[in-house]
Amino acid sequence: MSGPVLSVRGLTRHYASPSGLVRALDDVSLEIAAGELVGIFGPSGSGKSTFLMMAGLLEAPTAGEVWLAGQRVSHAGTDVDGLREVRRHQIGFVFQRANLIPFLSASENVALSLEIADVAGADAMAHARRLLAALDLAHRADNLPTRLSGGEQQRVAVARALANGPPLILADEPTAALDSVRGRQVMELFRRIAATQGAAIAVVTHDPRSTDLFDRIVHFEDGRMVA
Amino acid sequence: MNLALKDAIHSPTRFALTAFGVAFLMTAMIGMTGLYRGVVEDALLIIERIDADLWVVQGERAGPFAEGSAVAPDMDRRVEGVPGVADVRRFTQFTQQFAFDGATRRATLTGVDVPRDDGHWLPLTAGRWLHAGRYEAIADASTGLHVGDRVRLGLDDYDIVGLTRHMVDSAGDGLMFVSINDATAIAQRRTSEEVHLARATHGELAASPDGSSVAQESKIAAVLVRLDPAADPAQVIAAMERWGDVRVLTTAQQRDLMLNARLWKLRLQILAFTGLILIITAIVVSLIIYTMTIEKLHEIALLKLMGARESVVAGMIGQQAGMIGLAGFALSLLIARLVFPLFPRRVVMDPPDLAALGLALALICAVAAWVGIARASKVSAREVLS
Repeated sequence: MSGPVLSVRGLTRHYASPSGLVRALDDVSLEIAAGELVGIFGPSGSGKSTFLMMAGLLEAPTAGEVWLAGQRVSHAGTDVDGLREVRRHQIGFVFQRANLIPFLSASENVALSLEIADVAGADAMAHARRLLAALDLAHRADNLPTRLSGGEQQRVAVARALANGPPLILADEPTAALDSVRGRQVMELFRRIAATQGAAIAVVTHDPRSTDLFDRIVHFEDGRMVA
Repeated sequence: MNLALKDAIHSPTRFALTAFGVAFLMTAMIGMTGLYRGVVEDALLIIERIDADLWVVQGERAGPFAEGSAVAPDMDRRVEGVPGVADVRRFTQFTQQFAFDGATRRATLTGVDVPRDDGHWLPLTAGRWLHAGRYEAIADASTGLHVGDRVRLGLDDYDIVGLTRHMVDSAGDGLMFVSINDATAIAQRRTSEEVHLARATHGELAASPDGSSVAQESKIAAVLVRLDPAADPAQVIAAMERWGDVRVLTTAQQRDLMLNARLWKLRLQILAFTGLILIITAIVVSLIIYTMTIEKLHEIALLKLMGARESVVAGMIGQQAGMIGLAGFALSLLIARLVFPLFPRRVVMDPPDLAALGLALALICAVAAWVGIARASKVSAREVLS
């Protein structure tokens, strides 16, 4: 494994609420190297998803910094809307719900993320079909999301996250809506991607059944990283 | 990848219904504008086509369209003698009801000065111009008459020898052309009781064909004048108005009187309705585009999460608005072409008007898209998680 793809330093996120200050994330520092699959565990409200939002440049921290591939990209007061290009090229997202665009076929959903990155339509579609074939979804490439099972939809979402070859993939409860077999398949997929493509992958999960697949596991509690 | 097109193909029924909604609103707009044009064209038809430079009408009146007018039956001879006058024709026009084929119909009878008036200004779609001096008529197709029909007007039967199309007056009644002498006879129609009363009052003299117990004015409404090419219209007008019993109007003045005196309220009302429909169209189209944007907030958030530029989101909303506008406008043209010919009044679809309406719709769609884009710009990428 080479140097860290993702490096967060002293990441803090506080919210003001009627009942006082909420410390959603409190001084969290973490590095994830290329090819590393990290599991992030913790109870609800422990700050896992807040961490992912800030690492994914969807929210600016109250304090601390986010570094991607050796470059500081986010810190307190950063306009995260201006970081779309960084997200476009460097981060792939997978969520609990597949979040596929309902009026696009599986291959079009994957190709869209390439077209957004200015890849020509025909090339994007060809690459999308190759990716779907690699994930055993070639026969579903032309189906709309409503014609796919939950597991198939989630694999299309993974294919979409991979399409641009991002160095970092962030997954938030990607197996929560799947049965144990399908959930295991998706986690094995992440393991394979980390190994073959060298992507740094952080997976937020409650599911203890796939812990054997992670290179490292970190725990969050009350907004702090405890291990 | 055209996201707007993909979405439309994915929900064709919804897209078609939306386009039809816009189309019907635009059809109403085309109809109101066309009705306005039709009313104006119909009202100016005779004034524009009859090929007169001056209209000699009753003194201190703005006849014969904006006000009633009656000039002396021999006024044409007086006018003919004025230097600068090339030729003159007598003119009259009045509304007439008549029975035909078991139904009562209406027409606006127009007296033309045959044989001075050779009818070259009247476009015939069938038949011929008035050759015989009496008892012949040319009717507009809107009266329901055909060449060869015979109708009773006043006390006489008239043969329809020619047919016109789209020749109606400002009220939409079809025009019927007869010789000026026939028109006078029809206008002076009397009941038997009138004749008896006239005889009792004035003796046999009053019972002559042109006498009446009712005071009879001249039925000549105006004398139409064509000027010599070298004549000064102002001098000719001044010469005739010195007589004191006539007023002389130019064709431009007649046009102005028709549009700004007689038809002013109608034109204003039609334009007001057109404006109202334009506002309704703008609101409805904006709401449609806005609703379509709201329905896609999740997809918009996802696009932003994936790092899509604002132009991708704006393009999707703008293209959707454009497609709805384009489809709605094309459908409205089709509906208009199919439906408006069945309307009782003429609906004129002028290409410049259609272009202006298309432009108005494009502007409405642009504003609606802007409203949608403004809403979409407030969507945060993290709303995908909500």
